[in-house]
Amino acid sequence: MLPYLAKRLLLTIPTLGLVAVIVFVLIRLVPGDPAVVMLGEGADKASILALHRDLGLDRPFPVQFLVWVGHAVRGDLGTSIATGEPVAGLIVERFQLTAAIVLVAVGLATALAICGGLLAAWKRDTAWDLGVVGAATLLLSVPSFWLGLMLLMVFGLRLGWLPVVGYVPATENARLALLFLVLPIATLTLTESGVLTRMMRASAIDVLGLDYVTHARAKGLSELTVLRRHVFPNAFAPTLTLVGLTLGHLLGGIAVIETVFTLPGLGRLMVDAILARDYPVVQGCLLSTGLVYVLINLAVDLIYPLFDPRVAVA
Amino acid sequence: MRLRPNALIGGLLVGALLAVIALGLVWTPYDPIAIDLDHPLAPPSWRHWFGADEFGRDVLSRAMVGARISASVAAETVAVAIGAGTVIGLTAGFLRGWPDRALMMLNDAMLAFPSLLLALAVIAVLGASRNGIVLALTLAYIPSVTRVVRGAVLSIREREFIEASKVSGDSPLYTMARHVLPNALPPVLVLATGLFGWVVLSESALSFLGVGVPPPAPTWGNMLAASRPYMETAAWLSIAPGLCIAATLLGVNMLGDALRDWLDPRDAP
Amino acid sequence: MGKGRGYWVAKPSLTTVALDPSPFRAGLALALAAALATPSAAAVAPSLLRARLNADILSSDPGTRRDENTDAVLLHVVEGLVAVREDTSIGPLLASRWTVAPDGKTYVFQLRPGIVFHNGAPLTSADVVWSLNRYLDPKTRWRCLSDLSKGGLAEVTAVTAHGPLTVSISLDRPAPLFLKTLARADCGGTGILQRASVDPHGAWVAPIGTGPFRFAAWKRNQYIELRRFDRYQARPGPPDGNTGGKTAAVDTVRFLVIPDGSAARAALLRGELDVLDNLNPVELAALRGKSGVRIQSAPSDDLYALLLQTRDPLLRDPRFRRALAISLDTAALTRAITRGEGRPDSGPVPSPSPFYGPVESAPIRPDLAQARRLLTACGYRGQAIKLATNQRYPLMFDSAVVIQAMAKQAGINFEIETLDWATQLARYAAGDYQAMTFGYSARLDPSLTFASLIGDKAKDPRKVWDTPAARRLLDRSMAEADPVRRQAVFDDLTRAWRQDTPSVVLFNSGRITALRSTVSGYRSWPAQQQRLWGVAVN
Repeated sequence: MLPYLAKRLLLTIPTLGLVAVIVFVLIRLVPGDPAVVMLGEGADKASILALHRDLGLDRPFPVQFLVWVGHAVRGDLGTSIATGEPVAGLIVERFQLTAAIVLVAVGLATALAICGGLLAAWKRDTAWDLGVVGAATLLLSVPSFWLGLMLLMVFGLRLGWLPVVGYVPATENARLALLFLVLPIATLTLTESGVLTRMMRASAIDVLGLDYVTHARAKGLSELTVLRRHVFPNAFAPTLTLVGLTLGHLLGGIAVIETVFTLPGLGRLMVDAILARDYPVVQGCLLSTGLVYVLINLAVDLIYPLFDPRVAVA
Repeated sequence: MRLRPNALIGGLLVGALLAVIALGLVWTPYDPIAIDLDHPLAPPSWRHWFGADEFGRDVLSRAMVGARISASVAAETVAVAIGAGTVIGLTAGFLRGWPDRALMMLNDAMLAFPSLLLALAVIAVLGASRNGIVLALTLAYIPSVTRVVRGAVLSIREREFIEASKVSGDSPLYTMARHVLPNALPPVLVLATGLFGWVVLSESALSFLGVGVPPPAPTWGNMLAASRPYMETAAWLSIAPGLCIAATLLGVNMLGDALRDWLDPRDAP
Repeated sequence: MGKGRGYWVAKPSLTTVALDPSPFRAGLALALAAALATPSAAAVAPSLLRARLNADILSSDPGTRRDENTDAVLLHVVEGLVAVREDTSIGPLLASRWTVAPDGKTYVFQLRPGIVFHNGAPLTSADVVWSLNRYLDPKTRWRCLSDLSKGGLAEVTAVTAHGPLTVSISLDRPAPLFLKTLARADCGGTGILQRASVDPHGAWVAPIGTGPFRFAAWKRNQYIELRRFDRYQARPGPPDGNTGGKTAAVDTVRFLVIPDGSAARAALLRGELDVLDNLNPVELAALRGKSGVRIQSAPSDDLYALLLQTRDPLLRDPRFRRALAISLDTAALTRAITRGEGRPDSGPVPSPSPFYGPVESAPIRPDLAQARRLLTACGYRGQAIKLATNQRYPLMFDSAVVIQAMAKQAGINFEIETLDWATQLARYAAGDYQAMTFGYSARLDPSLTFASLIGDKAKDPRKVWDTPAARRLLDRSMAEADPVRRQAVFDDLTRAWRQDTPSVVLFNSGRITALRSTVSGYRSWPAQQQRLWGVAVN
């Protein structure tokens, strides 16, 4: 197990190297100049050129790349062009919030999906099935920002149960922080549970058709035991893969939710940085989400064999 | 075989969508870009079935044209992403060894970018255009397809009939086409239907962030994004595009389910 | 991790979030109790005014890393020698009076006695010299350095103290717009700072100014908090622009960063926000007539225009540009897009300007028949013209949509190209477009507005109007101090603009502010963003 883990970890290094190259090239292909954006519509040429020099943007790309990678390896991701803050600190600060929301929401969505998916598969072609599939399909048919705004309007504005804008870090006031996070988490949980439920149902139906489930039933085990012991562990693997994918894509996709609920998270940081051509921030964010994503994948791959005995750890 | 309700409802919804798209090619009630500044935000009436937007443009006409753009963006994206992803995933999963490792490394590198952000960055490079969005979303979703296909292949190739096919001397290509691909199809189809939904939703999310198919092209996402300021005062603006998105995805997903049941190799002899 | 990083904070307080409706009253009471427990607190709850910023400020260093939000916040904290009056003329602020030498090249300022900085240090001429020299140091990267160096308006050759309360500034040539430049919001009002604003190595720490509020806390992307400065010396007299009557009426002003318009609107309706300035006209419908909310607006000195690339093979023909101008019904366009809060305009002088006379205010009447004749005359056969716009600024985007539909009536075929703002700005700076909808922020003087339009396209591709006559007239308007003669120059410029139609001016937007009805004393202003001194919450 340990050598396998070490090997997998080593294998992530070239992946991250590729990520770094892609990030760097991609962001520089984008038309638009961070200095022009920063100085605005009335800026003169001389100050733009001066800013270029200060930011190191006048140097050749390969030199810029090597400088950036050299610093990144030591944990220094540079400073934001727009605000002058250190990028690494910015990312750590924002990531805590995003990670909390995404982890909780995906956890809840997975739990919902397991229950709903198993129920629907077990009661296949009944009203239960129709209800679960209908609800899941509806949830994945609603744009997340739309659902978020609806919840905001109803629970924030009409009923006045929850705050509408703002955010306090949990370190300052845990109870308030929680209140601010209820709606974003609810929105994400609902929108993400749709696709997970459908995947869980599909694979549970597969497993229910397999011989050993028939055997288990023939042995006289209760239906709940069959579902818990035989169906769930064997049907969960594809859903687990999807959970990994969801976690990864939410690191960026949550930007929409963060915008609706005005949360200072990583997604919004990245979108704003792309729009402002704040190269160091974009690079730093993409690199660090890349790192997080690779780690999530690694974790999924390591857990996968536990749920799918057909895939052995090689 | 009997027709499942899934197939019936799904078929009807998708058929209706195609009919609307076809009709929109030759006729819409109004010119979708013509403005009527004297009657902005007109509520639904006989003149405007779905009401009029903030420029007095007919929402129904725009939703009809939007159907064509939104559905074709999604369909092209899904087709290319599924095609490319399946080929890569099959190759990697079946060959294993170094090709698998190399492909998966690149795949992981691509996958390491959240799809929305990757799309955003690609769009920023290409400039927001219809084809740019298709390319951006395709690039963003190929890695997910690859990963799911490869996972399915890895699981399938451990089964007895693959071993049997190998033992009986079939060429790897034949085994792949005859045994692996059909067995990998159901999850891919479920994924494809899901993907269609994700793409339609991604398009609306990109529009929400202001980088979708460039407005004033009336995609559903654009219409929904533009209706936001009027959620309380002119709710009808969001009903038409919202309904279109929900109905389309419902139809496609149900058709996908029906297709999956039908294709499931275990039901065939 | 994160302690003290990313924000500059006096001390994190429990009152940082306002949650009033009933279920959370207990929490609020607790928070208030905590605030009251601090020794400095008075017997009554401190008053708090909450305003919105649509994006975080870029820095706390006035006039350097800046945008409109940054300027608006920092002008509460720092003050310059002179400032803009309500009518956009120049009045005294830290200087009680000044004299200009007969050659127009030397300004001598007398400082008001008894003024103290936020850290208790008295204001002296040495502080003025230090501040101005810091601004004039290229390392500071002051926004207005280029205006006050060679090639700009005039070069500042010396800043000298003569006694504790007298300062002189010498220029290399007379420049009637010099004081207006010092007062510009984007120059940070050339705010005078205390030395402790920077550390011993010259690195920026935080602004220590003389304004009615001191800079208390900045939590990045969340809020900026300003506290009343108890020893503030307001210039006597009634409130007048940025110059006088600037007394803080609340203990704390908190600028909340809320990028999303709908969220900001919801916050206002919920009572979690008191002032919502710079409101997008599309948000108006949902706020008008709502209880507890009041709308206030003022015309703005900004300028929205359809920029045309006069070097384009098609658009180089003035007849074509003329046809375009008369195919647009700018009055209807303005009404629809600004929801009645903007004013249609036909030339570069903005409608609130004192120079907006009979010549400037004459509208261009739409005339579709004449437009078609002109189009035929210049041989136009429906070629598509790319119209660049963006969605970050709804007024620019909406203008493009309406222009496309209106021009279509005359047979002009626009194809809208929606870019992101950074890309559009890059294209604007390179002159790389056929047509684009664009907005110029408020300038304090028509000369400055014309200066952003007129110039040599070969040297500066941003300029949209490049004729020798226009350049001559612009230079004259800059050198002229007498208002009557300046009016004549602006009239000539406006006539020439119409003759040539280098671009089509559309409208001046309105600055719309929504307020909780508990807020009193707020005054909208064409020249700049929200001013929260003198504003009280009951």
